[in-house]
Amino acid sequence: MSSGYHGRRVLQDISFVIEEPAIYVVLGPNGAGKTTLFRTLAGILEPYTGSVEIDGIGIGHRDARARLQYLSHIDGIPDGLRVDEALNFYATVEGVGRQDVDRVVRMLGIEELQPRFFSELSQGQKKRVSIARVFLQERSIYLLDEPTSNLDPKLAREIRDLVLGLSKDDLVLYSSHNLFEAKEIGKYVLALKGGRIGYFGRLSDLRPAKYIIGIRAEGADGALSSLSKKGDYYLQELSGPEEVPNLVAELTAKGVRIREVKEMENPLEDLFA
Amino acid sequence: MFLLTGTTIRRTIVIGRQYLGIGVALALLLSLILLLATGRHGGTAFQTTFPLELPLFAVTGSMGGLMTFTSDRTKGVFEYLIAYGVGPRRLFANGLVATSAVATIILGLTLGVGLTAAVADRVSLAENLFKAIAFYTVPMSFAGALFISTVGMIWSSLSTPRTGINSPLGIAPMVGVAPIILVLIVAESAPSSEYYYITGGAAAMIVAAVVLLLALSARLMGRERFISPL
Repeated sequence: MSSGYHGRRVLQDISFVIEEPAIYVVLGPNGAGKTTLFRTLAGILEPYTGSVEIDGIGIGHRDARARLQYLSHIDGIPDGLRVDEALNFYATVEGVGRQDVDRVVRMLGIEELQPRFFSELSQGQKKRVSIARVFLQERSIYLLDEPTSNLDPKLAREIRDLVLGLSKDDLVLYSSHNLFEAKEIGKYVLALKGGRIGYFGRLSDLRPAKYIIGIRAEGADGALSSLSKKGDYYLQELSGPEEVPNLVAELTAKGVRIREVKEMENPLEDLFA
Repeated sequence: MFLLTGTTIRRTIVIGRQYLGIGVALALLLSLILLLATGRHGGTAFQTTFPLELPLFAVTGSMGGLMTFTSDRTKGVFEYLIAYGVGPRRLFANGLVATSAVATIILGLTLGVGLTAAVADRVSLAENLFKAIAFYTVPMSFAGALFISTVGMIWSSLSTPRTGINSPLGIAPMVGVAPIILVLIVAESAPSSEYYYITGGAAAMIVAAVVLLLALSARLMGRERFISPL
């Protein structure tokens, strides 16, 4: 399909099928079309060509919409409402009850925010309320556009855990600018470049141009002294992850006490090149 | 979907409460001044000017409808509602219903209090006053409020968000009150025999303009127009 705004095509020749319950990370630089893709998949924008279908049902159909939940990068909470009123408003729109509002309030830990006007909340609190809306009703497809932006690391972690929970049974499309977050939670990657699909496949199939690991170790002065350092890490280029166990064994035999080994390059960075 | 309309009306009152309060207060203040000036002399000024000035305050006081629409668009509320299956036409109509509801509150309060005060001041209310209210005040108030609301909603959805006096929200009240002020000036200076032609004609023109705008809105307000520009 192709899609965009006011006749200007932002997305072109987009075609993919997703079936397996998992987190599909949608990546791309600013202006690549991530938000436009989410809006089109959610039925907010009508494609200029092609179609969006869920199990063969067009997204314009009520049955297809009922299976989908959308979280915009904007909070989407109406002005002039208190938090509990806003959640009740969306609960009624979604056709769920007060008990579901209470459940998501507990889930997101926003009990103390309920009597406050949404406009009075901090950015992080607003995001938390906005995300609570997503969990009002179980759906089978979740479109989450930058759900962890503006969140502190602790809350971002909580949200990622919730999303990981969803992905056991449901399809989750998740956009993020944070490549480490994407690598942590994503099973599949859909990378957009200039409004087209640059890569769509398993994250594990991606290989960085250079496979570099960082080794944090003690007693390494002799064995690792020839390597360059980045912070506390000695950098070693290998041909692939299969060489890591041998290297670790070799260093250990030389008396090096290894504290940590980690990949220093994120293969997702290459998708932005 | 009465909930959507009911919530929008309530939010319109909250968001536009300053306009609503000022609109009601100024209308009542002016009616009081008119009564104090001429009440004991038959209330001539009250009977001719009161019905003419009310639409002015109904229009400015109902700005909350446009403010709520603009806010909902910018904050992405419409995106969610469209994703839930609420049609753009319904969202547009919702804004107009909320504007009408606020105009009804202003008219109800000001007419009720104003006429009661006049009766209390022993002004004999003439039949012509009620005719002016029925054929000018009420239609002009609703049409004027809907006119600025429609123009503002179309305009704000065609443009990127701006604030201040040159934004749709800043200019809309001026556009809306202009024809009412014109009618006020012309009707006050014209011979009394032409009073009903002028007021009735003006109300009919504004109603026609609103109908035309509403007809155009379906073409101008595609669903892309409801998407947040942020």
